[in-house]
Amino acid sequence: MTIKTTINKSLLAATIPLLLSSGSVLAKSGSHDMHKLYEENCASCHGSDHGGYLAPALNSETLKGRSPTALRSLIMTGSFETLMPPFFGRLSDTEIRGLVKHLQSTPKLANPAWNIKEMKKSLKIYVRDESKLPAKPDFKIDSMDDVIGVAARGKYGRGQGSEAVFINSKAHKVIGKVATDTAAHIIEFNPANERWAYVKTDTAEVYKVDLYTMQAVRSIKTGLNGPAIGISRDGKYLMVGSFVPHNAVILDADTLEPLKQFELEGIDPDGKMVSSDSGMIIGTPYADIFAIALENAGQVWIIDLKDGFPVTKIKNVGRHLHDAFLSHKGKKLMVASYDDSIVIAIDLETRKIIKKLPAGCVPHVGGGSVVKVDGRTLGFGTNFGTCDDNTVVSVWDLDTMELVKQVPVSGGTESPAAHANAPYVAVDIITKDRRARTIQLIDKKSLEVVKTLDVGGHAYFPEYSADGKYLYVSAGYTGDEVVVYDSKTLKKVASIQMESPAGIFSRGRVKYMTRGLSPDEME
Amino acid sequence: MKILAYTMAALLLSLSANSYAASAFAGKYKAAAVCSQCHGIRATSSEAPFPPLAGRDELYLEKALKQYRNKTRRSDVMNNIAAGLSDRDINNIAEYYSRLKP
Repeated sequence: MTIKTTINKSLLAATIPLLLSSGSVLAKSGSHDMHKLYEENCASCHGSDHGGYLAPALNSETLKGRSPTALRSLIMTGSFETLMPPFFGRLSDTEIRGLVKHLQSTPKLANPAWNIKEMKKSLKIYVRDESKLPAKPDFKIDSMDDVIGVAARGKYGRGQGSEAVFINSKAHKVIGKVATDTAAHIIEFNPANERWAYVKTDTAEVYKVDLYTMQAVRSIKTGLNGPAIGISRDGKYLMVGSFVPHNAVILDADTLEPLKQFELEGIDPDGKMVSSDSGMIIGTPYADIFAIALENAGQVWIIDLKDGFPVTKIKNVGRHLHDAFLSHKGKKLMVASYDDSIVIAIDLETRKIIKKLPAGCVPHVGGGSVVKVDGRTLGFGTNFGTCDDNTVVSVWDLDTMELVKQVPVSGGTESPAAHANAPYVAVDIITKDRRARTIQLIDKKSLEVVKTLDVGGHAYFPEYSADGKYLYVSAGYTGDEVVVYDSKTLKKVASIQMESPAGIFSRGRVKYMTRGLSPDEME
Repeated sequence: MKILAYTMAALLLSLSANSYAASAFAGKYKAAAVCSQCHGIRATSSEAPFPPLAGRDELYLEKALKQYRNKTRRSDVMNNIAAGLSDRDINNIAEYYSRLKP
């Protein structure tokens, strides 16, 4: 091209991008708008990469052959017995039709980059000078251990109903709410300083929350999704892991500045090199370390909190690891493995596998529960699965590492709760029918289900108050309340309204390490 | 499968409706299964464009549901949902929601 005059040059230079952009907008306007619509309404549950997260993957592969009309009506009315809300009235019919077309023609996207650079850029500071914050809580409470945090999802997984709700668990009253933009998922409490809590959302933002004034002071986006977050025993470090992309990062717990990123990959038990989702991340009162489960690689990594954060890799732990809990002063780590239905005991001192224990079907141990009964240390493990009628809660003796009993329960379970002062271990039945309204209570001594409570909604994530006197349960999905029971009589004592409550986290946990242990286990 | 499960649940519910005198009890389960997805139990979502039903007048709720059912009141979604409700369901649901405190 030969352009002579500068006027022409600059005119052309100005026109070309205009033409190009308007051209591309015209050509792809539908798909571009639809991607935005997807990001704003669907991605936090179905995955920004269309690969699924809390909800199924929505892409050209997974939706192949599905009737567009059926998909359209599903989006309109929502899906009963799931978290899928109705979009009728929120999205227009044209938008819903466009979305269906978009989803059925979009392949699962490649793992996007989200590295330390992007994380640093996402750091937000809401309270500039934390030293000016009041030195004690601006509400009345006997002990900060009485604080219970609930991850309220909000009906649409985002917006006004999405917040971390903090409750005084003795008075059953809301102390404060911290808005999280997208659904709050996990709440961690700082074991070294009672004023700080950390809330991780569905879309992997981590909020540092000042419990004394019930406000977020900082936040950072650590990835695109994934539930993993842990805190070190000295309260100085957080480690956060993602499903998308496949990495984990250590943050300064004070400033939320990212310090080191880890690429999650390794050789799985079948000898294949794989890139991996981040499973649970846990800090332990036993040592200055983090343990992280690599879901797909089937490895557990131990990271020492010293210069360079060196990694010890424990391989061949299991096929598809997920969550875990601690026992024996934080020295023993019990990791659930979905695909081979085992729970693996790891010694964090020798950094070796102690034993692989039989679990039920697809073990999901939640936060786990450990109780001392008649001189034995019993661990309780819940199971997602209901295959072959093998619907049980596993009980292991964690001193000898033997299976004690598989307790039959009425359906799949995902989170147990126990307390030294409460007679029952509560488990949430999640099987998708009317059973999902219930939780079941296992007597600590007889190891049998002695009671079923009809909580309502989709009842899940039981948690005891720090003193063990009350049992909190989320009546989730459309139940829209947290129900409180007396832990001995199992009579309903209170109801706290919020939108689609899910995980419940007692600050008492930092004292027990794992729910069910008494604080003197920590001596 | 879903339709079958739903029909079974509806069948079970109608059976239990017959065996319990208190219709608010049957209404509770019907409301949880059919209405609460959009309208919530005590309140609807702050982000949702649906009217809350708790504490509304019983006769109004009954009348509205019957109008949706015989399509004298038009709404694509409500006409479909009400079409699956019996007179007894409608009475139970109306009784349940009207007694609830919002």
